[in-house]
Amino acid sequence: MLNILCVCGNGMGTSTILKISVKKICDEHNIDAAVESCSFGEALSFITTTDLVLTSPEWAGMLPPSSAVIAETKNLIDTAAVTETLLSAVKEHFPNEIK
Amino acid sequence: MLNSILDLLLKQIFGQPFLLMAIIVFIGYIAMKQKVSKAIAGAAKASIGIIVMGMGSGALIANFGKLLTALQNATGIQGAGLNTYPTMTAGYEKMDAILGEGTGAAWGIYTLLVAFILNLVFVALRKFTRIRAVYLTGNAMIVQAGISTYIVWRFLGLGMLPTVLIAAVVTALYWGICSTLLIEPTKKITGADFTVAHQQMVVDYIAYKVAPKIGNPEKDDIEKKKLPESLNFLQDNIIATALVMFVSTAIIMLVVGKDQIDWLRSAEGLNQGGLTNNVVFLVWISITLTANIVVLLSGVRMFVGELMMSFKGISEKLLPGAVAGVDCAAIFAFAPKSVVLGLLFGALGQIIGLVGLLVFKSPIFLVPGFIPLFFDNATIAIFANKFGGWKAAAVICTANGLVQILGSALAVKMMELTWWQGSADYATIWVAIIAIFKGIGSLLGIPIAG
Repeated sequence: MLNILCVCGNGMGTSTILKISVKKICDEHNIDAAVESCSFGEALSFITTTDLVLTSPEWAGMLPPSSAVIAETKNLIDTAAVTETLLSAVKEHFPNEIK
Repeated sequence: MLNSILDLLLKQIFGQPFLLMAIIVFIGYIAMKQKVSKAIAGAAKASIGIIVMGMGSGALIANFGKLLTALQNATGIQGAGLNTYPTMTAGYEKMDAILGEGTGAAWGIYTLLVAFILNLVFVALRKFTRIRAVYLTGNAMIVQAGISTYIVWRFLGLGMLPTVLIAAVVTALYWGICSTLLIEPTKKITGADFTVAHQQMVVDYIAYKVAPKIGNPEKDDIEKKKLPESLNFLQDNIIATALVMFVSTAIIMLVVGKDQIDWLRSAEGLNQGGLTNNVVFLVWISITLTANIVVLLSGVRMFVGELMMSFKGISEKLLPGAVAGVDCAAIFAFAPKSVVLGLLFGALGQIIGLVGLLVFKSPIFLVPGFIPLFFDNATIAIFANKFGGWKAAAVICTANGLVQILGSALAVKMMELTWWQGSADYATIWVAIIAIFKGIGSLLGIPIAG
């Protein structure tokens, strides 16, 4: 199972919408994933158990160092762009997770 | 028999926020054709989230209240903190004190549901209402519906049904009209089809209209200039909250003096008699208050995600042509430098405002909060910079910071809460709305309900 973390500024609005889209995309593409959301200030406490972080370039640069794969896209609520970013990151780094 | 069934249903089930939210989330999941097991898990999480939020906000209001008491004892000045979530729960506490435990939040949740439905109805009737946006920012919706409920109840003293209906109409009109106004400018910033639905929408619109008169968006676009990266840490919500709490608490401790600090140390709930060093005690208070806010936020996050999932699903199903109104932070990635600029000049404006309160011996003093300071001024700066360049953003955000303080002081005066929402719209248009309700209440001779 893939642990995905959605990150935005306050961990409330944008990352929640992102989490909703990511869950939907994973369902549609048969990716077995647990999706969580938080602010980048809290990312430190989640990131060690995260495989893939989805966020915008603004926050990506401020994430704490980790072994997680960071996938970024500018408009976090644009489902098409998020789908593309997510799928290409999964295909590149976690090809076994796609059933 | 009938009475005990009614009591069970109305008071113990539909009057208890932790069950009410679980039921709403459960229905949302089922309506979206999810598995029952998923629906139960979602409902349980929402329920836990409500309780966690209560723990955080209860501790925050109590601990912060001690600081305000010390301030009042030493100087006679009434203090209030600016933050969105505790304002809602502080209002609920006042309602619960008169109406019974859990009533405030239950009424607030009903207002939220009715307002959301009304927003959908307004959009369905867009030919007549011209409202095209559905406000979907769940975290802001909960707070705004809750505060509206408290405003209406406080000044009109009505029962549940009329209070919920009136509060929902006002809230839904605010959501629909203001987020529709921002469709055009948001599209120009992002090139995407959504709008900002948050709590500084009126001022965003003013910035969009006024900025071109102040500056030149081509020549002075901050996004094309360089900013030092060291400013970025200020955007970390937890660090910035701790910093603001530290500075504010330090000022309060300096003002209240030794006797009150000694009282605070051993005050019930704080119980830090062992921390005799004032600096250590100061650090302890600022960290504790920040921790209370972090708990509150994680509680909100546990149910807001489930709630937004339902709202988004319902809206997309019923009104596929509607414009989605989302959290202001969704546009931050399109203008990251404006975000920092807004924070800096908004802070400048708020500092001017706070100094003003002291110099002019205002009976009210405010402690700034990260959410109204950062998210509002960042968003306003994005609109201002896009349509008028950084000089316009600097001027408008400074003015907005000042207005946030002065307007909030007026609101605190009328609402008599120890917390106020503090964001731009809640220091402008909502102050007017409160004044209107207060005026209606006193015209009709209705006593303040609480």
